[in-house]
Amino acid sequence: MTFRRFAFNNVMRNKRTYAAYFLSSAFSVMAFFVYAVFAFHPGMSGGMVHNNVTTAMHFAEGLIYVFSFFFVLYSMSAFLKTRKKEFGLLVMLGMSNSQLKAMVFLENVLIGLGATAAGIGMGLVMAKTMLLTAENLLGLDDTLKFYLPWEALALTLAAFLALFVVISAFTVIILRGNRLIDLLKGSAKPKPEPKSSVLLSLLAVLLLGAGYAIALIAKGMVVFMVMIPVTLMVIVGTYFLFTQLSVYFIHKCRSRRSFFWRKTNLLFLSDLAYRMKDNARTFFMVAILSTVAFSAIGSLVGFKTMATNVLLDDNPFAFTYTPGKDAGDREKAEVEEIERTLRSEGVDYSKLEASMSDQKTAGSDQSVYVVKASEFNAIAEAAGEKPVELNGNESMMIYYTNAAAGYREFAPRKALLETEGVELDPIGSQSSVTLPIFDDYYVVADELFEKLEHPSVQRFHAFDVKEWKKTKNAGQTLEEKLAASDSRFFSIAYELHLLNQAFGVVLFIGLFIGAVFFVASGSFLYFRLYADLPDDKAKFKSIAKLGLTDRELSGIVTKQLMILFFVPIVVAFVHGAVALTALQNMFGYSLMTTSMSVLGTFMAIQAVYFLLIRGRYVKEVVA
Amino acid sequence: MEMLSVRQLNKIYGGKVPSRALTDINLSIEEGEFVGIMGPSGSGKTTLLNLVAVIDSPTTGEVLIGGRNPHKLKKGELAKFRRRELGFVFQDFNLLNTLTVEENIVLPLTLEGESVRTMESKVREIAAKLGIESILGKRTYEISGGQAQRTAIARAMIHRPKFLFADEPTGNLDSKSAKDVMETLVALNGSERTAMMLVTHDAVAASYCHRVVFIKDGQLFNEIHRGESRQAFFQKIIDVLSLLGGNAHDLSTIRV
Repeated sequence: MTFRRFAFNNVMRNKRTYAAYFLSSAFSVMAFFVYAVFAFHPGMSGGMVHNNVTTAMHFAEGLIYVFSFFFVLYSMSAFLKTRKKEFGLLVMLGMSNSQLKAMVFLENVLIGLGATAAGIGMGLVMAKTMLLTAENLLGLDDTLKFYLPWEALALTLAAFLALFVVISAFTVIILRGNRLIDLLKGSAKPKPEPKSSVLLSLLAVLLLGAGYAIALIAKGMVVFMVMIPVTLMVIVGTYFLFTQLSVYFIHKCRSRRSFFWRKTNLLFLSDLAYRMKDNARTFFMVAILSTVAFSAIGSLVGFKTMATNVLLDDNPFAFTYTPGKDAGDREKAEVEEIERTLRSEGVDYSKLEASMSDQKTAGSDQSVYVVKASEFNAIAEAAGEKPVELNGNESMMIYYTNAAAGYREFAPRKALLETEGVELDPIGSQSSVTLPIFDDYYVVADELFEKLEHPSVQRFHAFDVKEWKKTKNAGQTLEEKLAASDSRFFSIAYELHLLNQAFGVVLFIGLFIGAVFFVASGSFLYFRLYADLPDDKAKFKSIAKLGLTDRELSGIVTKQLMILFFVPIVVAFVHGAVALTALQNMFGYSLMTTSMSVLGTFMAIQAVYFLLIRGRYVKEVVA
Repeated sequence: MEMLSVRQLNKIYGGKVPSRALTDINLSIEEGEFVGIMGPSGSGKTTLLNLVAVIDSPTTGEVLIGGRNPHKLKKGELAKFRRRELGFVFQDFNLLNTLTVEENIVLPLTLEGESVRTMESKVREIAAKLGIESILGKRTYEISGGQAQRTAIARAMIHRPKFLFADEPTGNLDSKSAKDVMETLVALNGSERTAMMLVTHDAVAASYCHRVVFIKDGQLFNEIHRGESRQAFFQKIIDVLSLLGGNAHDLSTIRV
């Protein structure tokens, strides 16, 4: 048996020990690869997605790489830790230090190669599945097709081969300076009780409290200014929350006998301080990554909802048409074209029209629009707005307002028209989104409108369709037909479709990155857990001899796992909720319902993940 | 009163080549009796202890502890039975190193949901008996092996079990600590009237028992009772061990 043969056999005949490390490595490769498939997608560089998004995606790819690096490094060191005893034995049998290093190096390269191949294989299947899902769920047309991802393949191969070589080199560093006695004793050496500092615990509370307070109080553009300091405060606060405050809190619980000595609390809490301290950095990383994912996805979904709602609020009619300035006869032709197309598409519509008369005001070069009350009322009623009631010389000022402006109201203003010195003294003011006039304008009683001269009149045409959602095709045909004309044609269904497409791609990417980070952090915890399994098993076995029911045991394990799984996520949840509230204050638009549904979904996924892992873990410990 | 009754106990380990570990074992232990089980490596001592202590289940035969057959209990009931009626002492102590000595001792009581005040008074009482009051606040890696084993005994005895099982309790200890531990067990046996069953290789440890049962190749080989003198009893044990094969030295160092 040559030495290389030995190293090879060591891996092949010891599959179970290597499985966790192999799988976590393959998983990182897969996440990276699937992501690269999207980042290099030809559909991404096309017009659909903004350039900045592509840059951001490549940046995120770098983040995933860094994350993978630490992930693999961590799994590797956990893996080496479980094998310390074996190494000790080999050294005692006379294996030289360089031989040991060579063996570990060879093993790591072997696992790395295998994991890269397996990860890319799984990634190809995964990418195809995800693209199909994206197509069906998000209603994306054919922007994201499956393609042979040569660039992604090359990048993943190069990146991970380099990573595994570097990590293998790290193993040598990890093994260096280990005395034989430490190797032989392995992880059996008891650790001193973790300590925490009261001062730093207090600092954690202060930083988090202050950060939250500032984020929640700030309004408008101040949010933007305090964003970076608040983020820093919360990050530092979170770090101390896990490394200090949690340990401090557990310590306090332990010193209260009436609590600590009750039922299984003794067993449950005794390990918790150690686990907390051991996992503090993992928790911190998971919490921050999840917060980023939450906030990014929450705001994306929020923006999308906001854009959709603004679009829907502003456009009550399925189609609107306003001729260009010098349309002249073209107007008639274009309107006929629209009606012909609508009829041929089988769209059941009712047509509404209004004349918008441009009136010079006396004594200034400004002008105001004047609209006939009967026409305005017909349109307003169709749009579900309040009609006006005007007689004689009465008029009403109409202004535009929306959710982003907080539905601000404007007081009526007088206007003196050039025509025969008619003074418009509105009896009141109200808001309307119907006519494409962006200044305040006046609706006047029909008699008054007839009295005025109308040197410059624009006709506004609206086509009201009950089932406007089905008019996308008609809208697309017409927008394409009228694209060359300077007249303005607008189809709400088609515009909404375009918005969904654009946001859909970005949203899909956001959700995907979020999911990758999320699953990655879950797996991180899982592999940490797996490293503790042998110790846990031995411990529970001896306690079972003293008399511990399976129910009590699974209760303890469940509580511990729950803390491992949900503490970072709950922290991320709270962080995310505060961040989204702050964003909401900045935009003056409520992101609450949508972002809550996103956070809720992630919580639900985590809960399912937890249940799966809990079942497995309890089974392993009891067996 | 008979505390333990073993009738026609057989244990066969399955597999491609089944091996017979115990054959037709009959054994009875009275209340307050302290019985040692000895035998060469592979003779079935630990198997017997595991069956009696319900860690493993017999192929045929019956075990009754205090008139009940614990093998017929459901898993949850069995766990409660263990922590109420039985005590265990292991060779490697099995203390939890995340807990202090005191917390290790009260562990069975916390599972039962006793009040803190009762637990505290019980800990003080048992710690005084075992002479470990001064180390109650220490962690398990700060104490010696003898102290650790006495802590384990305190944990096994704090709920006043009817029966205590000790599996090579002196196996990891030096002779001075081993003597302390055995004297502790004898004292508790005397004051609490707890029946005890001790599996050991150590003839010195066995000489503290009232009676020693020898097992060879899974069958009862012999049984000797202690008279007045512990020294004489020790000599008798050595004689039987020599009869069992080999000399006394290798027997006392080999572990099952």
